[in-house]
Parts: sequence; C-alpha cells; structure tokens
Amino acid sequence: MNKDDTVKLISAEGFEFVIDKKAAMVSQTIRNMLTSPGSFSETQLGQVTFPEISTTILEKICQYFYWSMQYASGKETEFHIEPELTLELMMAANYLHT
Amino acid sequence: MSMYIRVKRSKTTYFIQCEPTETILNVKEKLQNLIDQPANDQRLILVGTGEVLEDSKSLADQKVENDAVVALTLRKDDNEFEEVNIVRPTDFYQSLDGDGSKW
Repeated sequence: MNKDDTVKLISAEGFEFVIDKKAAMVSQTIRNMLTSPGSFSETQLGQVTFPEISTTILEKICQYFYWSMQYASGKETEFHIEPELTLELMMAANYLHT
Repeated sequence: MSMYIRVKRSKTTYFIQCEPTETILNVKEKLQNLIDQPANDQRLILVGTGEVLEDSKSLADQKVENDAVVALTLRKDDNEFEEVNIVRPTDFYQSLDGDGSKW
C-alpha cells in the first residue's frame, strides 16, 4: 500500500479519512475530481475537503465504498444503515453520485 | 479484497485492506508507508476489547474482523507508547448512541 494510491477525504469538522484511491473512485464525483486534467489541488495533493458532509456521514460513505468493492467481488453481505442517518446519507450520496 | 479495518488515531481514520491470514506486523508495514512511522514504533489496540494486538499473530487469530476499529498509538520520545486517543465527532447523531460502544 503506497501513499500515492490513497486519498484523504476531510469532513466538515476537519476529521480525516485516508482510503484507497480505488475505493474513492466508487464515487463518480470524486473520480472526476481526481482524474480531471489540469493542476487542481485535489489531483495534486490527493486530498478532498467536503465542508457540507459531517464526519459520521463521511465515515459511513467510506465504509460503503469498501462494502461496494467487496460486493462487486462476490461477497454478498448487507450494508447496515442506521435509520437516523438515512436522510443525510442520501443527500451526500446524491452529491457524490454514489 | 476480502476485508478492511479502520485504524484510528486522533482525528484521522485509515482504511486498510487486508486478509484475515495477514499478521499484525503486515498491517503495521502497510501503515508505515502512510504515516512514516516504523512498525516498531506503532502499537495497535482492538477497540472493542482493549486488547493490544501482537505482531506475530494473524488478524483472524486475534478476532479482528471486517470493518473492525483499531486504535493506533505511537512511541513517544521517552520510549513509552502514548495513550489511546481517538477524537469522536460530537454531532447530533453520535449523541444518540448513548453507550459509546457503537461506532
């Protein structure tokens, strides 16, 4: 596992989540941010800040990325979502095209 | 990919992909690349049980499962390891947990 293969996602409260680039690419929005041509700071630093996404939701999203990769590789488990998170999570998912 | 763990220290969480058969030392070597701290200066503690994880044992041996939360502590200047320090967000949803055992 190499530093260059990871991205850092930063929540509204400044909490950091370091995840595999491959996992982050599950989100079309993040994929676009990381792969668009030109020297955007996101592409160079491998770091994306989400001022609108709270820490709890961002962590759930990261867990979803990994679950999604496991699911794609044939491991069919359920993804548990706490009922109180659903609304905020759906809004974030919509934004991230996830 | 078969599993991942969440390694937490302060306000940072590292998602680490791994296999149940991998040893704790393997995991520390992966972390080493990310945090520039040698494996020898890292200590991993399973948050659920408070158990310090041993380098030579595998994740499966020590009941570290998929999506487990593991605390990372680093060796201080005086050669001792720091205390577990994981900052949790204090937003509305977290306060619903109450018992503090859930992540």
